Amino acid sequence: MSADSNNVKILVFACRWCGLFGADAAGRQRIELPVSFRVIPVECAGYVEPDLVIRAFASGVTGVAVLGCHVGGCRFNDANHPALKRLELLKTLLDTTGIGGNRLLLGFGTTHEWHQYVETILGFYRELEGLPSMGAWVPVKQ
Amino acid sequence: MLEQVRQRARELLERKQADGVLALKKGYWDVIQPHVFTAPAEIDKLVLEPKWLLAKMARAVLLERPQPWRLVVVMRGCDERAVVELVKRNQVDRERLLTLGYACDSAQAKACLCNRPYPQKLDAGSAVEGVDPLTDERVKSYLEGDARTRMEKWAEQLRRCIKCYGCRNSCPICVCVPCKLEDEVWVERGVVPAEMTTFHLIRAFHLSDTCVACGACQEACPVGIPLMTLQLSMREALKRDYNYEAGIDADRKSPVLSDFIKEPRPGQDMPDWVDSTEKKP
Repeated sequence: MSADSNNVKILVFACRWCGLFGADAAGRQRIELPVSFRVIPVECAGYVEPDLVIRAFASGVTGVAVLGCHVGGCRFNDANHPALKRLELLKTLLDTTGIGGNRLLLGFGTTHEWHQYVETILGFYRELEGLPSMGAWVPVKQ
Repeated sequence: MLEQVRQRARELLERKQADGVLALKKGYWDVIQPHVFTAPAEIDKLVLEPKWLLAKMARAVLLERPQPWRLVVVMRGCDERAVVELVKRNQVDRERLLTLGYACDSAQAKACLCNRPYPQKLDAGSAVEGVDPLTDERVKSYLEGDARTRMEKWAEQLRRCIKCYGCRNSCPICVCVPCKLEDEVWVERGVVPAEMTTFHLIRAFHLSDTCVACGACQEACPVGIPLMTLQLSMREALKRDYNYEAGIDADRKSPVLSDFIKEPRPGQDMPDWVDSTEKKP
């Protein structure tokens, strides 16, 4: 990865049934990934409310990824459908304010699709590297 | 129109169809404030101007009165939409709340950039054509341009915030207790100006599918941040994707609460694998 990727910080909310196992599987394959992303396991992608994403941006994260099960394959009766709809709506707000909806990535895959997980994360890095800084939207903490 | 409203309100009180009328009252020294009229004789002091949203107040009045007490609210179009949204969230008992709707004139509609300046149940006045807010020059200037320009433009506006919570308090639909904007976890307390990202975006997003575009937030704002503009793009997205508009249909819940099977987006199949950066293999 280029030097720029050091400035990119990604927070990944991974559903513990699909996204997290995908991340695990990628680790078992010894795939080399950039080090500046952190995975937070959640019970379901539906648990990730938009406020959490906003809070993450406020604490200086460059991009947020929310990974869940296939739409239609959720363990909790389609809980990831509203999650997808809500977060798509949040993208509209992020676009309006100029933060950019592309700082939020929604991915839906299953456990065995670790290659997809890797591609998603690497693609997200490529996308975020080209973006300008968030400027005034990130508070400066002492 | 004013006489019509007074007449109707007096009738409702005299026939005991309602126990109180919530409206604006011109009292001593011509001070105008919201008031619950209970005597028919008092109705002469009822006025309609200025614009003052009473939906949240009606909720508070109904909460403190005993169960069978019925209230009439004299309201504009935006107020009625707000009541519909409050009813959806179980905040107001529709059985106990009667509406007496009147239409705004075109000057008011233009000032508010309102696309529906009339209630669905119209009792007085005649409905005038609304204005499409997205065609307004000032609104356009905030929603157009590239990301960089917009970011600077919004940052410049929101940096002026003095964190008076006026936008939240004046909003006819913001009724949550406890409020996330007062919680240390989400928003740092006692810091002025407010943390831009958390305070303003959380507030804006909580109202994304609820906002009835009444404009009370930006009218209440002492530093003149165009807060309603922040909601307009989300209202537009809901209208485009799900043909949903807040406050119109009391039986239809927000589409972001339902799944893709019950409420699909027009022209879009159920996505089996969604990713914003990569094409589907």
